[in-house]
Amino acid sequence: MLYNNTMPKRRKWFSLLAAGAVAFLLPGCGRQAKSGPTEIVYWTGWSGFELELQHKMVDEFNRTHPNIHVRILSVFNATGDNQKVHIAMAGGDTPDVCSAVWTNELAGYAMRGALSPLDDFLKASGRRPDEFVPGAWDMLQYHGHTWGLVGTLTANFIVYNKDSFEQKGLRPPTNLAEWEAVNTALTERTPGGSYKAYGMRPSSLMDWAYVFGGHWYEPKTGKVTATDPGNVRALKFLQDFAKKNDIRRMEVFESTFGSNQTPSGPFFTGKQSMQATGPWIEQFIERYAPKNFRYGWFPYPAPPDGRPLCTTLNSSCFVIPAASKHKKEAWTFLNWFLSPKQNEQFCLGIDNGSPLKAVAASPALQKDPLLKYSALIAGGKNAFGPPQMPIWPTYLAEIQRAEDKATHSGGDPYTLLLAVQKKVEKALRDAQREAVY
Amino acid sequence: MTAVEKAAGAAPMKSRRSADRIRLVVTHLSLMALAVVFVAPFYWMVSTSLKQDRQIFDPASWYPNPVMWANYKHALTYIPFLRYTENTLLICAVSMFGTVLSCSLVAYSFGRIQWKGRDALFVLVLATLMLPGQVTMIPVFLIFKWLGWIGSYKPLLVPTFFGSAFYVFLLRQFFRSIPAELSESARMDGATEGGIYARIIMPLSKPALATVALFTFIGAWTDFMGPLLFINDPNKYTLSLGLQQFVSQHGAEWSMLMAASTVMALPIIVLYFLAQRTFVEGITLTGIKG
Amino acid sequence: MLDTDTPRAGASPAARIPNPPVKRKGQGNMARRNLRNGLLFASPWIVGFVCFTLYPLVASMYYSLCAFSGLNHPVFIGLENYRQIISDELFTKSLGNTMYMVIVGLPLSLIAALALAMLLNQKVRGISVYRTIYYLPSLVPAVASAILWMWLLNPEIGLINRLLAPAFAAFHSAPPAWLGDPHWAKPALVMMGVWGAGGSVIIYLAGLQDVPTSLYEAADLDGATAWAKFRNVTVPMISPIIFFNLIMGIIGTFQYFTQAFVMTQGGPQDATMFYALRLFNSAFIDWKMGYASAMAWILFAITLVCTIVVMKTSGRWVYYGGGDE
Repeated sequence: MLYNNTMPKRRKWFSLLAAGAVAFLLPGCGRQAKSGPTEIVYWTGWSGFELELQHKMVDEFNRTHPNIHVRILSVFNATGDNQKVHIAMAGGDTPDVCSAVWTNELAGYAMRGALSPLDDFLKASGRRPDEFVPGAWDMLQYHGHTWGLVGTLTANFIVYNKDSFEQKGLRPPTNLAEWEAVNTALTERTPGGSYKAYGMRPSSLMDWAYVFGGHWYEPKTGKVTATDPGNVRALKFLQDFAKKNDIRRMEVFESTFGSNQTPSGPFFTGKQSMQATGPWIEQFIERYAPKNFRYGWFPYPAPPDGRPLCTTLNSSCFVIPAASKHKKEAWTFLNWFLSPKQNEQFCLGIDNGSPLKAVAASPALQKDPLLKYSALIAGGKNAFGPPQMPIWPTYLAEIQRAEDKATHSGGDPYTLLLAVQKKVEKALRDAQREAVY
Repeated sequence: MTAVEKAAGAAPMKSRRSADRIRLVVTHLSLMALAVVFVAPFYWMVSTSLKQDRQIFDPASWYPNPVMWANYKHALTYIPFLRYTENTLLICAVSMFGTVLSCSLVAYSFGRIQWKGRDALFVLVLATLMLPGQVTMIPVFLIFKWLGWIGSYKPLLVPTFFGSAFYVFLLRQFFRSIPAELSESARMDGATEGGIYARIIMPLSKPALATVALFTFIGAWTDFMGPLLFINDPNKYTLSLGLQQFVSQHGAEWSMLMAASTVMALPIIVLYFLAQRTFVEGITLTGIKG
Repeated sequence: MLDTDTPRAGASPAARIPNPPVKRKGQGNMARRNLRNGLLFASPWIVGFVCFTLYPLVASMYYSLCAFSGLNHPVFIGLENYRQIISDELFTKSLGNTMYMVIVGLPLSLIAALALAMLLNQKVRGISVYRTIYYLPSLVPAVASAILWMWLLNPEIGLINRLLAPAFAAFHSAPPAWLGDPHWAKPALVMMGVWGAGGSVIIYLAGLQDVPTSLYEAADLDGATAWAKFRNVTVPMISPIIFFNLIMGIIGTFQYFTQAFVMTQGGPQDATMFYALRLFNSAFIDWKMGYASAMAWILFAITLVCTIVVMKTSGRWVYYGGGDE
């Protein structure tokens, strides 16, 4: 024990110093001289079974590419903030390929010079923009360059419980007015006003704004368009809904659910008959839904002047950081991983749609009805990725706060969005002071 | 004892003993009632770890039925559990050693030696805790990068040998409670400061040292951010990093996650159970002291 | 206050040797030797501070005067960040939320921790098991306890409201929606904090172990009541530990973050938007490291002032067995 040490004191002091010195010299991660294949490091944001699949694919790549060895590392963080990537980018000590970046963050990294543009690589490998679904391609552009590629692409739409609908003689709505009628018909409340069952609660102003014909940013002019009439109408719709349906009661009802994607989730127990979701819901239906669970789907219901078959897109993005030491090899891997053959394997394995037109239209993916439907919407003209602006995460947070205020404590939608507009314009001006691209 | 009031005269022996018995019963009852409150999260974690996925969020199911031992088998084989445990134990052991050693030395300086500038420097020690770590993360990362330590355990281990403000302060408080006369007389007998530190102060501070050792161990065992930022090799992963691999982007494998969490929590629970005997030993020691 | 001549000191064999009169001549020597020894013992911290802490402190101070995302080179902009922070509506809001935790939450959890430690310091059968159980909340992974609490606090099916419902029904009102209600979200977090105060309990416990039993025996002989013993023996004897928990509590609570980050993300309606959460969002969502650094230094200044105020009063109520050595 430390305190029973009877060593002569000088020796003792020495040993203390030595302990410190030893700690300094502890063998670190060896930077051995490399002969043989070039090692590149790939950080992925996926985990669980999605990670396992990538391990398998990386093994295959290493087998078929003797000159390159890919080392894969999952940097997944349950809170979803990718802090390791942020710090590594800031510190200039990055992997060679990274898929733990959301398309949300892409332009921010690109503008500040943290990423390598992929244009030359794409050209050299003969990859063309028209291989990609337009919505997927557009969200990867900033300042005239392509900054990353996505491996998956899924649309959001609404999945409903067929039995609940049929019991009440309801049919899937085709527009907003019909949806409102259906939603009212599905709602059951106690005499005291508590909810017993409902259709769904529309939320996320960011998404609904597009449905209402709005948009948030114009990449060509660099204009922030938070006060676009479509956005204001969408916020008004969310606010009216909240008022009419007593949003607090609704939230209390929702908070009794636990998680949506569990067996006791409201969607599987008939308490909630509609759910805004993506094709991955299939996995959860298989695992958690009762045996005879029957379900159907329809797109976000749009008002007459809105956009039918509308969705927003967001995916994990594959990038080559500017600090990568082996960009060419990194591209070789990335190009392989996102080639039609490998992409099909990847998308099927994790029940996601594909950003490649050929893969999205392939028989293997089209066989799955939900993936087919997702491809239809994601490939359409009303599919919107994150706007190509460098401060989109900040913008999103402000949009959410405006929605929270409008639905809970009231306030004029236009005024609230005007405040967002001003704040974001200023933040954008500030951010652009340090633009590299 | 000047301030103790001599309020009621000594009560007759008999009523005192029954009063003691009532007090004992009350103590036991309150201990037990509160224990339910404190054991709840642990019970919840363990029972979830043994449930089927279907049963997890069912509010009416208080216990697993059927009991899914397979969750544990899966959790233990899903990640290289043994290797991660080894890695974690190495980090725990080194940082425990480093922290106890360095913090006790520094605390001795602040608590037992009267020197010019001491109190000002001590405020500086505390001040280092007052700046939120988020804004020093990048410069800290840059230092380690400059030293070539990124990817190794060194960023996690080496700093523990240089004293952490929290434990320095804690040990200082305990050291200052030890009567000055003990050091004085030892000095008269010709003992050096090193000798007083090693033979008087350290042995008398066992409960405090055990507390520091325990906290350091638990801290290193459960640390997530440190290993996440600095380790870049799956073979060097710790348990807390490995646990994250159960969770996937669109949903969590709750029962497996909880099984892994249970396996991770058990060793520190056992460790604490055993370590708190050291606190008990502290009593007997103080008994001699006092 | 107790006399310095405690039984503990008196009974020690070493202390029986009377203190010889201090030689005046030796005092200069002594001061120099103490300085040397003091610096030598403190050297691990000093070296570590210079190597690992000084640069980050100076750097973040400099960042606070710059437009700096973390990715590019910082651009000096003077006090602009500070000016912006003060005019930000969320600054006052988040600081207010944080002060609530310091003023309401911290005292409650300190008192609860002391009470629990006293309870766990009883010599009854199976106490070591209880000690382990009471520490469990600190040993269970944070995610697990966060999920558990979301269940307990659930407005309709949560255990807490099921217990409270009859009481509220008597007044024809409904129990609070806790994390869903801006007025009740912070009290809910305070409740969680009290429950998870195991770390402070252990530190108190270690302190209580150090209180010589002879003091209680002496008090018993004097026929002291339980309260008198607590007030005149326990509190003074563990006052250094209370002081420690108080200072660390202040520093830690000003940086209150994890629960809000995991459970509420600042909502509902910014009711749990704490200062450190706002700071984190500025640094890692808005990419405004310069702004976040300025926020951090403002927090630093506030914490430092509070800490120094408490330290100044400590002379009046903290008792050290070792005197003022």
